[in-house]
Amino acid sequence: MTILETRGLGRTFGALRAVADVSLRVETGELRALIGPNGAGKTTLFHLISGLLAPTSGQVAFRGDDVTALAAPARCRRGISRTFQITSIFPELSVLENVRIAVQLKAGGNFRLLGGRALLEASERRARDSLGALGLLDRAREPAAMLPHGDQRLLEIAMALAQQPELLLLDEPTQGLSPEDTAATVAVIRRIARERRVTILLVEHDMDVVFDLADRVSVLHFGQLIAEGTPDAIRGNLDVQTAYLGGPE
Amino acid sequence: MNGPRALALAALAALAALPWVLARHQLSILTDLLIFGLFALSLDLIMGYTGMVSFGHAAYFGLGAYGSALVLVHSGQPVPVALLAGALLAGVVALPVGWFSTRATGIYFAMLTLAFAQLLYTVAYKWRDLTGGSDGLAGVPKTTLFWGGPSLATPHAYYFLVTACVVLALLLCRALVRSPFGRALQAIRENERRFVALGRAARPFKLVVFVIAAALAGLAGALFAPFRGFASPEVMFWVLSGQGLMMVLTGGIGTLIGPILGAMVFILIQEVLSSYTEHWMIFSGAVFVLMVIFLPGGLVGTARRLVTRA
Repeated sequence: MTILETRGLGRTFGALRAVADVSLRVETGELRALIGPNGAGKTTLFHLISGLLAPTSGQVAFRGDDVTALAAPARCRRGISRTFQITSIFPELSVLENVRIAVQLKAGGNFRLLGGRALLEASERRARDSLGALGLLDRAREPAAMLPHGDQRLLEIAMALAQQPELLLLDEPTQGLSPEDTAATVAVIRRIARERRVTILLVEHDMDVVFDLADRVSVLHFGQLIAEGTPDAIRGNLDVQTAYLGGPE
Repeated sequence: MNGPRALALAALAALAALPWVLARHQLSILTDLLIFGLFALSLDLIMGYTGMVSFGHAAYFGLGAYGSALVLVHSGQPVPVALLAGALLAGVVALPVGWFSTRATGIYFAMLTLAFAQLLYTVAYKWRDLTGGSDGLAGVPKTTLFWGGPSLATPHAYYFLVTACVVLALLLCRALVRSPFGRALQAIRENERRFVALGRAARPFKLVVFVIAAALAGLAGALFAPFRGFASPEVMFWVLSGQGLMMVLTGGIGTLIGPILGAMVFILIQEVLSSYTEHWMIFSGAVFVLMVIFLPGGLVGTARRLVTRA
């Protein structure tokens, strides 16, 4: 079953065509990587899918429904959660509260002005579960800003995961990480994909990560999809090598 | 930890005992301080907990003062009716103002709130038939606590009414910032873009808290009018909005109790300095600058840092 489909999706900024005529299908349960050189439009495409940007052409369908007209919050409530390329957390709030608020915003009861204890406790349980999955539980009480960079990247994933999304968009989860942290993050993502049965679409620069994790790979170049296939097929694809992997050897 | 609770109880006991210790004019000053403490507390809800810096918060204090004064002057209803009217008027006006202002963020939000406040100030100034223009409404009586109930005209009685309002407002705000709604506000303050990406538009939250803060500022104003016996356009002027910001920063932004203390300290400093020199503003300005530089987090923020370090 197709969980996400874009049809002729495009976005221009003035004369720049950041994303042009992208038709992408992601099947339920798959781990899809989106690769492409800098400026290929990967993050823009993520914004179009999550609703932070409106497209200038084309549609986005999620679980068969056209969600093009829905803004980001509504798409999130339908089951699309995401992380950001540049770490985006609530710095002064505790690690636990970062994740808990993510649960609350999706689950509802946000306009309980007084009380709401049961609601707070229920969301805290789910937040702890998510933090546990990412190995951050022992730092739950610290302000999020105190976490090292690598843990902040994991915290973002924990926030998205705690929302129990059907589609998880990860924008360069290993960006700026040391090789050890990268390996740990890759392991975490693989485990999440398997245990939580969540479909993952991931933007990634690190080719080792991509070929290691992904079921299928889509290649974006100058805003257009130029190739799609299994990691092996993509590795052997001449166009991709020219566009991205530094030309045929 | 029992420290904060013990402090709170001590403060309550002091508030209850002070009327018998203080001289009449001192009790009057304390009542005044508490009223402005309530005003600063209401500002902290939007400024400290939601990250919305309003330059027009005095407008709601003023609306509360006029609402209360009109009720008392024209109908002689009990004071609580006037308080309700003042808070309600402020909240109702804050609804459209907030609806427009929350379309913007940061400095643009601040400018919009300032513009609306000055607009309301002008209305109060020009609408002579209703507001008495620049003279304001004088002779606002301290009526009774309820129909046929005890008079509030004694300093003691009015002091206790104000104290009860401030304590209740503080408890209300405390519950509010700890509720699911209050937690959402703090997330908006920290990172609005992230908040939106997590599934909710931020604006409805901002609008609701803006109206609540305005209603509480209105309550402060509604207490003010019968206390001083008048309501005049000055209480809506931008100067009071600016002083509100300074009260919040002096006491400790995002601490609730801090802004109440901040308002008290801020006004006391003015009182003391102005009794020595007519150039007191220079010195109170200097004190404020020094406080911001050397006591980041204000009085309460600094105290908490010292306690956790000890």
